This record gives sequence, structure tokens and C-alpha cells, in this order.
Amino acid sequence: MNDAFSELLAGVIRWFGDPAHWSGAGSIPAHTLKHVFYMLISTVIGALIALPIGIGLGHSGRGGLLAINITNIGRAVPSFGVIIFVFLLVGYGLVPVIVALVALAIPPMVTNSYVGMREVDPAVRQASKALGMTGWQRLTRVELPIAMPLIMAGVRTSAVQVMSTATLAAYVGLGGLGRYLIDGLQLRDMAQVLVGAILVALLAIVTELLLALLQRLVTARGLRGRQGSAE
Amino acid sequence: MTRRDATKEEEQGSSAIVFEGVSKRYPDGTVAVEHLDLTLPAGELTVLVGPSGCGKTTTLRMINRLENPSEGRLMIGEQDVMRIDATRLRRRIGYVMQHSGLFPHHTIADNIATVPRLLGWNKKRRRERVDELIELVGLEPSLASRYPHQLSGGQQQRVGLARALAADPPILLMDEPFAAVDPIVRHRLQQEFLDLQRRVQKTIVMVTHDIDEAMKLGDRVAIFEPGGAVAQFDTPSRLLAAPASDFVIDFIGADRELRRLALKRLDSLTLDSGLTAPFDEVVSRARSYLQQAGSGGIVVLDSDHAPLGWLGWEQLKRAGDATRLDALDLQPWRHRLYLHDNLRTALNALISAPGEVVPVVNDEGHYVGVIDRLQLTRQLV
Repeated sequence: MNDAFSELLAGVIRWFGDPAHWSGAGSIPAHTLKHVFYMLISTVIGALIALPIGIGLGHSGRGGLLAINITNIGRAVPSFGVIIFVFLLVGYGLVPVIVALVALAIPPMVTNSYVGMREVDPAVRQASKALGMTGWQRLTRVELPIAMPLIMAGVRTSAVQVMSTATLAAYVGLGGLGRYLIDGLQLRDMAQVLVGAILVALLAIVTELLLALLQRLVTARGLRGRQGSAE
Repeated sequence: MTRRDATKEEEQGSSAIVFEGVSKRYPDGTVAVEHLDLTLPAGELTVLVGPSGCGKTTTLRMINRLENPSEGRLMIGEQDVMRIDATRLRRRIGYVMQHSGLFPHHTIADNIATVPRLLGWNKKRRRERVDELIELVGLEPSLASRYPHQLSGGQQQRVGLARALAADPPILLMDEPFAAVDPIVRHRLQQEFLDLQRRVQKTIVMVTHDIDEAMKLGDRVAIFEPGGAVAQFDTPSRLLAAPASDFVIDFIGADRELRRLALKRLDSLTLDSGLTAPFDEVVSRARSYLQQAGSGGIVVLDSDHAPLGWLGWEQLKRAGDATRLDALDLQPWRHRLYLHDNLRTALNALISAPGEVVPVVNDEGHYVGVIDRLQLTRQLV
């Protein structure tokens, strides 16, 4: 192991050890909270837009491919570009960041909820109708519970992506863990950059684990452990 | 129609299903059903059969409004189905499909209780009904808490039937209910289903493409031809005895006569008492029986009065006068015929029989008479 690397690691440990970094406005807890806040608000707004679209199209079976293609094109637009663009339109503030993150959050949730709804066995769909369920009952008692694992997988993908990308908020002067990356790069303080990177990675992993747990909780017992298996 | 059927119809007069000039056309111009006039009697099992694309499934699906007729009127008893709210109508009509269509996220018990829950039954009543149905369709009670994917195809099909019967609907629609299970399970399910129908007495409409199934299960069979018209609507025996067109003859198949035999049971005939001898008889006596009767052989019975084997004239001629019959080389029958067997089974047994007759026994295995080829042929006239 070379000296530069051990130097860097020592720097990181010193950074984490410094009590000044654990309280006050620019501290690790404060930036983490802000970061999580950006992620939550963007994912929730994204879900409010994406899930009704994906679920609605999947339920009716119409126009789904079009929606998926449009959201996939959206996926190709870089979030950084969106931030700059909206920043130029509305100026400083939360809006450019949230717009970019929401745009990032939407495609996986649209695609997954659409596919989840489409993959409900046509025989099951037909049975629910033939047994005399109303349209609403078919949606809420049969199709949604069956599609739930895939819908939640989409939410999970979006949330993790947004969690990592929320670092961009720092570029337009906001807080969040991106602060450490940008400040560190500017000051050539590699220890600080690494601290930021480690924290973002940790948050993404925690998000993944928490949502995986949530996904399990909302998946009906009869559906657990049989994804992809033949009937 | 028997007298029993007639009283049944009076009791449930409201649930005959009547198609009056019903057509179904799709926006793209395809005609699924063309001007259908058909009355499906209450309390009977009507089978709709025909090649694929003949409109039989569309016809079925119009009864619970999964499809709406483009023309004509469809009545259930005195009610026009188009005037009944579709979801309310469907809750009064059981529906069984080819792939059970069970809800994968619900337990077997919850699947069965689907319609009762929609109808707002309380928990206790639902649970009692589920227990009843699990027993009725021949499932293990322990399966109630399982999930559909843990069951075999045959078991799933039983659950599908239980779910359809849950709210005790007067009408039951079945769309190829036995097509997706293997032949052995299918035969058992069909048999059990017939027994079940005898007990529950519902107006049942079943779609199949399998003419054997149609003939076996249907009180009446409607044979559809391509283009969505009915080629003939009749009882199985009438269809076989008097097919209305070449299409019907073709569809029923070249083995029409065999199918006719399959519809009659041995106990519906007056059997010949036949020529028999007890196992401890001596050859000389047996010879004189045979000479008197002018028969080619004799059925030897054991001490329980069960057929032991066949003894032909050639064998008797060669044997010593005082030999007991059971000391001779008796020829056994490969098939044992019971009174409840049908005539097709009898013919099958006759083909491989050592003599010109086959003995028929009752449920206890006691000899009751013999059947021969002439008797069978007479049934086809």
C-alpha cells in the first residue's frame, strides 16, 4: 500500500473524528438530512406522477409502449443538464434540483408499474371480472396487490438513483452531501471528497435495504418467493 | 326429457337461458355469432361444442355479459340480461375457466370466498360455506390455508369450481373447465363433476372442443359450425341416432356407432340368462346341456356364483365323461363386465372373449346373465 493512499485514509479518519464536523450548519448530520430530504421529496413527487401513469396505462393496456418510450428518452437526458436548464429559467433555489431529480425518478417507476400491471395473468384478470367485481375492486383487490412487487421495485430503483444523484444539488449552491465532493475538489482536499463519496454510498445502500424490506412487507404472502416461476 | 327433469324445470323456472336472434359482431367486421336462437333448459347441463372460432365461447360469455350482444335478446328466465347491472348479474352466475384463474395472492379459502365477500356475507357464514365447498369438490381441508401455486393443476381446477359455486348461483358457466389437466385427472374430474351435478342441479352451460366430453357430460349438446351458427341442438343419443347434417356427422366422427353404444348401460337391457354350469359338474352333464341348447360353449361358475371361465365344445368333446369341470383348462375373460358398464365396454370385452358371449355380473360379482354381439347390434337399429 503506498504512502499517498494511507495518507488519504488517515485524512478521512481524521475528518470523521473531528467533532466540528458533527454539529452545526455545515456538519455531516445537517448535510445528510438535507440530502435525504431532497431524495424524499423528489421520489414522492416522482411517484405521484409516475405511478398513476404506469398503473393506469397497465390497467387499461393502452398506450403503454408510447409512455415507456417517452420516459426512456427522458432517462437519456442528463440530470446535470436539466438542473442547469431550469436554473437558467428560474434562478437559484430548490426548484431546479427537484425538477431534475423528479425527472430522474419517473422513468423506472412508470416502466415497472406498467409492466407489473401488464404481467397480471389474463386469466386472473378475467376471473375477477367474471366473478362480479367492479372496476375499482378489480384494480385494488386483484391487480394492484399482484403488481405490487414490481411497482415497489421501481420505487426502489428510483429512490436509490435519486439518492446518488442528489449530490448535484451542491452545484447550484444548495447543501447535501454533494457539498463535500464539490468543496473537496475545489480545495484539492481528497479526504473530504472521499468522505462525501462514502456517505453517499452508505445512504444509497441504506435506502436500498429499507425499501427492499418495505417491498417485502407490501408483497402478499402468496406471492413471496415465486417471482418468475411458472404456474 | 324424463319426468324428474320436468318437475325440476317448474321449480327453477326462472333460470332457463334463452337466446332470441342473438348476433355478435366485432367492429372489425368479424362475426362471432350469427342470429342464434337457442333455449338452454333450467336444471340441465348444456354443452356448446364445435371447432375453434365457431362462436361457442362468445355465446357463453354473453350470458354473464363478458361480451354484449350486438343484436337480439338474451333472457335468463323472465329477465333481459342487458337490463341487469353487469356486476350484479355476474355475482349470481358461477364461472369456471380453463386456467383456474385463481388469485395468486389469496389463500384457497379466500379464493373460494370471493363472491360471498363481494355479497357482504359475514365471516362466520363465509367460513362455513368454504368448509362445505372444500368437502363438496373433494379437496383436503388442510389445503384451505395454502396458496394456489402450491396446488396441482387438478386441485386448482377443483378450487375454481368451488369458487364458482360459493354463493350457490342458479347458473354455472364453464369455459373448457377440464382442458388444461392431464387425461387421467380429466376423466376423474369429469366423473366427479357428473356426480356433483346430480346433487346440485344447476343450469350449467359448458364450452368444450372435445366431442367425447360433450357426449359424456351433456344432457343436451349444441354443435356449432364455423360462422357462429348452431348445426344441431339435441340430446347426445339423438345427435348420434339422427345427425342433422354432414357437418354434424363429420364432427361426431366415424365412430358414431361406438359412441351410441357408450350412452347405454347393460342394466338397461334384458340380458340373456345364458348357459351355465357349476364348477363341480361333470363333463358328461355339461355336454348334454350344450347339445340341448345348441350352444358353442358354457359359462362355468364358482361356489360364489361368479364366472370362473369359458368351456368350449371342442374341449368338452375331448374330456373324459366323469371329469369335474374345474379340472379342465377353463378359459378366463380378460374383462369383467358389470351391470353398470356401458355397451361400448361390453363390445370391447366381446372382441377379446374366448367364446361368443361374455358374462355380466352385479356389484357383488355374482353372475346375472350374458351379452352377445347380436344383442349389441340390435341396440343400434
